[in-house]
Amino acid sequence: MTLDIAAELLGLLADTTTEERPNAQLEALTLAVAADLPVLLWGEPGIGKTAALHQLAESLDLPLTTVIASVHEPTDFSGLPVIGADPAVHGVPMAPPDWAVRLAEAGRGLLFLDELSTAPPAVQAALLRLVLERRVGALTLPPGVRIVAAANPRGSAADGWELSAPLANRFVHLRWTYEHDVVVRGLGGTWPRTTLPRLDPGRLTEAVAHGRRAVCELLTARPKLVHQLPKSETQRGGAWPSPRTWDMAVRMIAFATAAGTSREVLSMLVRGVVGDGPGLELLALLDRMELPDPEELLADPGAAALPERGDLRQVVLEGVVEAVRRNADRARWEAAWMILVRALDGGAPDLVVVPAGNLAELRRDDWPLPAGLERLAGAMHVARRAA
Amino acid sequence: MSGSAERLDTEKLYAARLFAVRARPYLASALFALHVVASPRTPTMAVDRYWRCYVSPDFVARTPMEELAGVWVHEVSHLLRDHHGRGDRYVARHELTGPGVRLMLNIAADCEINDDVYGDGLRFPAGAVHPATLRLPPNELMEDYLPRFRLGPFTDGYAWLDCGSGADGGERPWDLGPDGAHGLTEHERDAVRFRVAQAINGRPGDAPRGWRRWAEEAFHPPQPWRELLGAAVRAASASAGAGDDYTYRKPARRGAALPRVVLPALRRNPPRVCVVIDTSGSVSDEELGIALLEVAAIGRAVGGRRELLGVVSCDAAAGVAVPICRGEGIPLIGGGGTDLRAGFASALRTRPDVIVALTDGWTPWPGSPPPCRTVVGLFRRRVREDLDHTVPCPPEWARVVKIG
Repeated sequence: MTLDIAAELLGLLADTTTEERPNAQLEALTLAVAADLPVLLWGEPGIGKTAALHQLAESLDLPLTTVIASVHEPTDFSGLPVIGADPAVHGVPMAPPDWAVRLAEAGRGLLFLDELSTAPPAVQAALLRLVLERRVGALTLPPGVRIVAAANPRGSAADGWELSAPLANRFVHLRWTYEHDVVVRGLGGTWPRTTLPRLDPGRLTEAVAHGRRAVCELLTARPKLVHQLPKSETQRGGAWPSPRTWDMAVRMIAFATAAGTSREVLSMLVRGVVGDGPGLELLALLDRMELPDPEELLADPGAAALPERGDLRQVVLEGVVEAVRRNADRARWEAAWMILVRALDGGAPDLVVVPAGNLAELRRDDWPLPAGLERLAGAMHVARRAA
Repeated sequence: MSGSAERLDTEKLYAARLFAVRARPYLASALFALHVVASPRTPTMAVDRYWRCYVSPDFVARTPMEELAGVWVHEVSHLLRDHHGRGDRYVARHELTGPGVRLMLNIAADCEINDDVYGDGLRFPAGAVHPATLRLPPNELMEDYLPRFRLGPFTDGYAWLDCGSGADGGERPWDLGPDGAHGLTEHERDAVRFRVAQAINGRPGDAPRGWRRWAEEAFHPPQPWRELLGAAVRAASASAGAGDDYTYRKPARRGAALPRVVLPALRRNPPRVCVVIDTSGSVSDEELGIALLEVAAIGRAVGGRRELLGVVSCDAAAGVAVPICRGEGIPLIGGGGTDLRAGFASALRTRPDVIVALTDGWTPWPGSPPPCRTVVGLFRRRVREDLDHTVPCPPEWARVVKIG
């Protein structure tokens, strides 16, 4: 067997095609890297984290430098102390390793720190300084360098490392998983290709305002969420809310809005910085911000456009009744009835029942029954049957 | 709604949903989030993973309204409890194949739901599966039921059972699929589940125990305690000068090649671990057996050096700390009330890097943190609801892993 034939066989094996397929976790990674936040990918070894980093580096046009943390010594990251002629005069410089010098000379690049969790603690301590302060020994990495780290989940890590709460608080945590059918199809010769998000220069101001408004509204209503150290053992080493991570959340919402990405991607990013519970509350608020404003509906009930989904429609109707309760007069009360009647068009009648009952209680004795009320009879019939 | 929609008695169906919302107010957003699709091919009512609810017009016509309300709650429970996702993971983990698998998943999922959603205003539907009909105990999870029954005489009566792809993950011919109209995306599904969990946690008195447990774990599923305990002990023993690490106290081997450079060397410094085992009467033999196995496992995890692992058995007075000699041959003395303070004091005499306390928590704790890291393995106690007991909390300075 000659190597020529082997090369031909290898060529055939390398001959794969790609197909368009959206990949939310890759989109989330791209946005976090673009936002210049340190990302930590949690995932089992061998599931394609490195391949994803290659695609990301290619699409951002950044040279990729991979450093396997577990095979390095701490001095490779904190710098090697080199004793000069007269240490008392010149001090002892901490010499950076060659890859860091090359990265600093290039001025830009994607630095991938793999296998963070299997390195000894002193190496990790040195690495975290690199991630957080961008310093390798005496050298500071230029702002054009973006850093992504990868770690194995706690349960599968062989040694005793875990992220302390202050360190966990500085990362965007992304869980990296594989999809079974994507892997099987890829091994058959067709790998997925994802169109990565692009920022729309025209939406930047609006995006910043949107992010700030959402986070401020949430924290005004829920002051407890501003700072919550993880308490239970299951949440340790993960994302948790603090002023720092809320600032990261503002940044992530702004980037996701400017890129026009889906809620799935934003959900990964927001939960990846402030944790699941606070993240979901923020997302619920973002959902509510997109619902029609009760006051606008009451101002023009004839043109009211209600959401299709039953649970959201019910939230809107309850909001309308609540708005009338806060500031009741006959015109607003009648407008609310019109909105309830409109909610029957193309919607289930049962979700009108509770708001209708609440609205009826607000009636003053001198207000006549509003027009169109007979159309609610069907809903009232439903209510009577359910009673 | 098209085709046979004329025949579907929507008024009855929606009246039933309203009835269900009144009986289970905390499920309102989930019930209202379901999108109804009239589907004559569906035997009864079925859901898909995108939160569509397929309804047979015949089934609505022949089922009493109150029973229909129970079916609404039943179907939405499949979705809230992510039975399709859990079913898919179970099938993948156990590499199950064959036509009966999805039916088994459906039956096990129904068992998980049916033992706690009915009653209190909702009638138990005729012919529904209950764990008791399979001679299994109630209050367990789908994954617990699955390995404990086979399709056979007990399940023959349920061959017609079909709660759709939302219940067991198997595609159905009537499913509209991911691209069909009115499906919920993953984020929207999470948002609905989150709202329901908030509604339950907001007024926990209103919801039965099964739902409260679900709400607590909806976004933080419990992790296997062995991994957590192992990770806690390893993390505690890897820091504070113990474990494999670099040190400047010893010259490095590659220092000879770089004469002008000072290099640290890798140094092994295995931690001393002392395990305090609560042997009071309130800890059962079974739990002590588990605890012993964990002690042996922790011993291997920290490097297996026998003289570095000590054990103190402790009730009201601490036994003598003994090094482990054989894997499970630890003498356990005790059997009264507990005072772990004595156990801690006696453990500290061995100058450990880490103390691991295995206990049920019914004990006074030391008033100040010991001078080493502490991990508490806490045996879960099923606190009876009618008794107003509160287990004393382990102190703040200890890392706590709930066991069992």
